[in-house]
Amino acid sequence: MRITNFLFSRVGKWSKQYSNLPERYIKRAMEQVYWRNPKGIQYKPNAIVQRKKYNFTVNRPWTGQFRQENAPGSLAAKVFVEPIKEWSHFRGDRVQILTGKDKGKQGVIKEIIQERNWVIVEGLNCELKKMGQRDDFEGVWVRAEKPLLVTSEISLVDPSDLTPTPIEWRFTEEGEKVRVSTRTGRIIPIPPSVEETIDYKTKGTYKEQPKDTAADDLSEITFEPALRTFEMDIMEKMGIKEDRVPPKSYWY
Amino acid sequence: MSTRWYPIYQKGGPQLRVFLPNFWMKLVKPTQDQPPNIVQFACSMEMTKHDVKNYLEKIYNIKCVDVRTRIHMPKTRRDPGKGYVIKDEDTKYAYVTMPKEESFKFPDLFETETKEKIVEDHDKAMKQAKEGFQDFLKKNKDRANMPGWFTI
Amino acid sequence: MRNLINLFSKIALNSPRVVSYNNSLRSISTTTVRNDLMEFFDDPKNWGAEEVKSGRSWKKDELRIKSNTDLHKLWYVLLKERNMLLTMEQESKDQARLFPSPERLDKVEDSMENLEAVVRERNTAYHKLETGETGERPGRMEVGPLGIRYYYKMSEYPIPKHMNKKWQEKYKFYKYDKDVEAFLLKYREKLYLSKRKAQRRNFNHVIGLMNRFPNMDMEAVKEQYPDVDIEKAKSSRKYKGHFLPK
Repeated sequence: MRITNFLFSRVGKWSKQYSNLPERYIKRAMEQVYWRNPKGIQYKPNAIVQRKKYNFTVNRPWTGQFRQENAPGSLAAKVFVEPIKEWSHFRGDRVQILTGKDKGKQGVIKEIIQERNWVIVEGLNCELKKMGQRDDFEGVWVRAEKPLLVTSEISLVDPSDLTPTPIEWRFTEEGEKVRVSTRTGRIIPIPPSVEETIDYKTKGTYKEQPKDTAADDLSEITFEPALRTFEMDIMEKMGIKEDRVPPKSYWY
Repeated sequence: MSTRWYPIYQKGGPQLRVFLPNFWMKLVKPTQDQPPNIVQFACSMEMTKHDVKNYLEKIYNIKCVDVRTRIHMPKTRRDPGKGYVIKDEDTKYAYVTMPKEESFKFPDLFETETKEKIVEDHDKAMKQAKEGFQDFLKKNKDRANMPGWFTI
Repeated sequence: MRNLINLFSKIALNSPRVVSYNNSLRSISTTTVRNDLMEFFDDPKNWGAEEVKSGRSWKKDELRIKSNTDLHKLWYVLLKERNMLLTMEQESKDQARLFPSPERLDKVEDSMENLEAVVRERNTAYHKLETGETGERPGRMEVGPLGIRYYYKMSEYPIPKHMNKKWQEKYKFYKYDKDVEAFLLKYREKLYLSKRKAQRRNFNHVIGLMNRFPNMDMEAVKEQYPDVDIEKAKSSRKYKGHFLPK
């Protein structure tokens, strides 16, 4: 039970890929711990009381809006999310919309919300929202994209004839895993924008920050195997001589 | 032996050494006025006065004449929703005295004027945007239901 | 192919003052040495910034090719970086201002964890080769005074067990006790019930999924809910409701 809950509440790989944030930060930013057992001998040593179920929406788990939506004490209605064997909709994929006002239109995936099987298609399936309404100001209408279910509301587009197609994951002769259109048998290439993050378009165009390691320094091999522990090696390099033998001690 | 295991010291044994210390220290703004050569740190609960002194001298090359520590217990508060009492974790503070001729003043990381300025700028921008939008509405008053691309 | 750039090792390799000894590992030494308390603060350029960009943390594979001395230096660079970030975070919190890019702290801590794991790997290899044991802190599974099994981490003592009164008083292991047995019976019942509840919950959840998504990939369901018998779920009266299919 605990394990499945944990699996549900975990943020999907493709949801966080674009943000380029470490897993640890996402976990720290979204968790709500109400109680942790203090250190020491306890009936339950690492007991922890924390929020287990999160309400995932278009707001990303590390944002303030998410925290607001999942404020302590708030409960959201249960959501049924269809299990998917393998995620096959990526940022930059061309998809056709199958339902709603924009039915039949094609667009490009902008954002992925894997926890809900959602994607956001750029500029399509929009709703009008009134923003900034005050007593002395009537507010501004803005267009915001609504998420779409990958299972039934969109379909990937076959690049050869630009029509929607069901897909399948297959292996090429070289052993590469590819998406194949089951209608035409053509490969639907994974777009290059998959590796794009908020910090860089491609890994090659990443702009070095002042505290980053240069690539040459990174790949340089300085390790030389020797029959020494880390401590012995450091002591030798620092010229610390130690020949006292530790007196007998007991482990229990 | 692993890196995080600290062996016991027995008389005549080798000197105990820490190669990868895991202690943290953070420089905090002093809560009370202090002489210019006294700096306040918050540090790991496990650190002793000697640890603080060695840490600063060896890692940061800061001379310490004297170190005093205290453990601060924060005020308890009530959970806003359920009302049970919460006690946040204790903090260990170290007051480090540097030599007389040295002085340190905690820098102003966020200059106090800028905070008001940010708010002011934000308000100004909001006001401008609102006025611009009103102008837009006024201009298009007689063009209701006209598509956006149809313009002169 | 160019590797994605790493966080913080440039200053590691350039930082000429690493705890208590000097090194001239690199001839390039561009960063100026600051021997003062200002090391606890970020670059003044980043004071009050909205965002501070940084690379990613060090991976284990990248640390494995570095010498012990390099790792030792990198540790102190990371330690200082963490202290700096903690100082900045605390001050931002006190001033009720934004702490830019808090994920930097996690990146540094990830790197430190990886570094320690690599050092531990090396030490274990040495000990296994020399003594046949890992050299890690030993431990064993024990049954606590309340009859619950836990991993007991052993400690080092200067005197043997039978002489150590304090230890004997502190660590009590399980001996037969009627009341504890009664407790254990109830405790196990509780565990069993919570397990059964979870199974039932998953079972009903799968039925709910099947009702909502008739074209669902059943293999994916089996993968995600291995304890649910899908044939049984299909024969449940909750499946498909009470109406006749069209």
